[in-house]
Amino acid sequence: MLLQFIANGIVNGAIFAILALGFGLVYNTTHTFHIAYAAIYTTAAYCCYTLYRIAGLPLLISILGGLISGVILGCIIELLVYRPLVKRDAPLSVALISSIGVYIIVINIIALIYGNETKILIPGIQKTYQLGSVILTQIQVIELIIGIVVCIAYSLLLRTTNFGKLIRALADNPNLLSAFGVDIYHLRLQVFALSSLLASIAACLVALDVGIDPYVGMPAMLISAVSMIVGGVGIFVSPALGGLLLGIIQSLAIWKISARWQDLVTFAILIIFLLLRPQGIMGRRRRLEEL
Amino acid sequence: MNYLLHLFIMISIYSILAMSINIITGYAGLLSLAHAAFYGIGAYTTTLMMIKLGINFFPALICGIIVTGLLSLAIGYPSLKLKGDYFVLTTIGFQIIIFSILYNWISLTRGPYGIPGIPRPSLLGHEVSSLPEYFVFSLIIALVVFIFVRLLANSPFSRALRAMRDDELAASAMGKDVFRLKICSIMVGSSLAAIAGALYATYVTYIDPTSFTLDESIFILTLLLVGGSGNLRGPIVGAIFMVLLPEALRFIGLPDTIAPNVRQIIYGLLLIILMRYRPQGLAGEYRFE
Amino acid sequence: MKDVPTILRLRNVTKWFGGLKAVDSVTIDFRERKITGLIGPNGAGKTTLFNLINGFLRPDSGEIYYRNIRIDHLMPWEIAKLGIGRLFQDVRIFRKLTVLENVLTGKPSHPGEALTPLLFSLHKVRKIEAHLLDEAHHWIEFVGLTGKEHAPAESLSYGQQKLLSLARLLVGGYDLLLLDEPTAGVNPVMAGKILDIIKKMVTEEGKTVIFIEHNMNVVVEIADWVYFLDEGKLAGMGRPQDILGDVNVRKAYLGI
Repeated sequence: MLLQFIANGIVNGAIFAILALGFGLVYNTTHTFHIAYAAIYTTAAYCCYTLYRIAGLPLLISILGGLISGVILGCIIELLVYRPLVKRDAPLSVALISSIGVYIIVINIIALIYGNETKILIPGIQKTYQLGSVILTQIQVIELIIGIVVCIAYSLLLRTTNFGKLIRALADNPNLLSAFGVDIYHLRLQVFALSSLLASIAACLVALDVGIDPYVGMPAMLISAVSMIVGGVGIFVSPALGGLLLGIIQSLAIWKISARWQDLVTFAILIIFLLLRPQGIMGRRRRLEEL
Repeated sequence: MNYLLHLFIMISIYSILAMSINIITGYAGLLSLAHAAFYGIGAYTTTLMMIKLGINFFPALICGIIVTGLLSLAIGYPSLKLKGDYFVLTTIGFQIIIFSILYNWISLTRGPYGIPGIPRPSLLGHEVSSLPEYFVFSLIIALVVFIFVRLLANSPFSRALRAMRDDELAASAMGKDVFRLKICSIMVGSSLAAIAGALYATYVTYIDPTSFTLDESIFILTLLLVGGSGNLRGPIVGAIFMVLLPEALRFIGLPDTIAPNVRQIIYGLLLIILMRYRPQGLAGEYRFE
Repeated sequence: MKDVPTILRLRNVTKWFGGLKAVDSVTIDFRERKITGLIGPNGAGKTTLFNLINGFLRPDSGEIYYRNIRIDHLMPWEIAKLGIGRLFQDVRIFRKLTVLENVLTGKPSHPGEALTPLLFSLHKVRKIEAHLLDEAHHWIEFVGLTGKEHAPAESLSYGQQKLLSLARLLVGGYDLLLLDEPTAGVNPVMAGKILDIIKKMVTEEGKTVIFIEHNMNVVVEIADWVYFLDEGKLAGMGRPQDILGDVNVRKAYLGI
């Protein structure tokens, strides 16, 4: 029984890892608390749903459509909302509030079009695989595999490509980068595109697994933020670790306590980390000297 | 006429909420998404005191204020150690934890079933039962809160808060105890929100956790930003605007099925447009920039 | 100089930033009612020293004593209340407050800033506030900002903001004033005005001033004594005219 819960936890952790990587990417490079990430997540899921269930397109095309829609929305948000604020040197609270505004608009448009009920993408019983005493559905296995693939690919992207180097430099010292002639705004756009892609991958997987409603975005964004804090802000791959751990801990909480208290456990962990170890598991203690 | 009275009562309640979050976010500069939690703790504490212990409204209200003020230390203490985004995230965490407790601790709060049959307040033997009476009652309470907030707003205390908001380091070098200031402003702001909660509970005579969600916290923050923060008029203008906006939409014939979503879209647009072009809101003084 | 009392004592104060020793075992006695200058190249640790005295930073080792009270572990507001005031290199006025409000916040111990006195001794608070208003108007006039009391501080020019921060400092009634580059970024007339104020503070009001400066003319004009810092270490001290002729100082500043 425990093994089943842990297995479920790892699968969920894989999804959280993908989500957290995308959220952390934006936060580490632009210091934007990207609440609109929730809107991108929801949009990708609904686009996939629309193409697959309403337009009747093949599954892979629908997923691709979902990914594209998420990336487009993410870029639009950066171009129309964040970039003008950055140019004005607006404080971070202004960006955060605008981000909330975007989230509210997008999910309510979706709610207007599709209604509030949960939509299922793949009806009926799913095929399952058995490994020892653990049973996983087909989609869960796919989530796990894609989670691993994404983490490895992301890691390679950061370490080996020029883009990866530029992103790490952007996180460190944007002014210096700009002084070297790099177009910061273009780089930011690429960052948001990649982050939205990650959110969209997770969104489509979860949509296929359990279905969607207009309000799934906020919990997804929040879990990304918590994973990032737990894993460690400032390091690009640590949110994945945070996500994986949270998936397992949530599952253990359900096993030991009850599913009802899941949220409380998750956010209690957040607050404990924020107060006792704000740099997360992998982060280095920053010497914040002011008081 | 009855409906008009209902609107004014809601404006009174939301004015109190707006004035209270203004102290934390407008004066002290601490962006908080936990306000609905304080609203809810006040509502539930007052209700439980009245129903389970048979206490009268005003003593129950005092209990509500005290409990909320004490629990506010849960975000007060982190405010001393965490800045900006980290603090906002803490307030979100607190908000979700409180909602989780209200929703799942069924033996205490009856969870999603809510608590019905909350008695109206009684003053010196007379129960404030009719709608016009409740309207006057809520107006008086809102007025008392306003007078208190005005006293604070024109005081050296508010000056110290705003100095801290503008430059915490410089303020501390001028002898301002920023730790004490942060905790005090959060305690006062949350305690006033508890008053709004008590009013709401005894007005609707039924409460359940769904009135005190993260969405409600976002709504209260939007209220403050639309009306304007950092002065006395802004929060009240915000409360009036945000309570009357749905009515205006209904007036122009917007069907009830889509009205809630359209309303939210307008809130979202307001936030974005205000932050971009008029960060001080409709009538505020402080611009988040 | 031996019979002049010491108001501030630094004993082997050291501060690390990562692998860098920003302040290296600095021991200094600052004399009361004197104007002491702190000079040294950029990055020598002068502002860090101020931050340590102020309470913004805690020394990794060593002690700081103000009038025989150990202050290195106190909070900045506690240190301000003991009588140490600070002028910042980057001005740091409260931008959204008016000029008058800025100066009013300069008083470190105002009972009206706490809730209990505000609620229970309102009458007393109002009296203190009335007093403070008079003082504030006096200092605003002193620095020449009369007429601008209700203007938002951010609407002032840089030079005016500097004068405002000076007025805000002066209303505080501090005995020890830490001035970080008091004449930087202002025109010579304004600078002369500021230096006059500083001299008056010491000779007429009995204050003690420690200042950081890069402008050697200023140092020569007002300093009674100068300490030279280089790479976090105390590398020289003496009267202004002597220290400027010092070989090490010239090497550090001019590279010769």
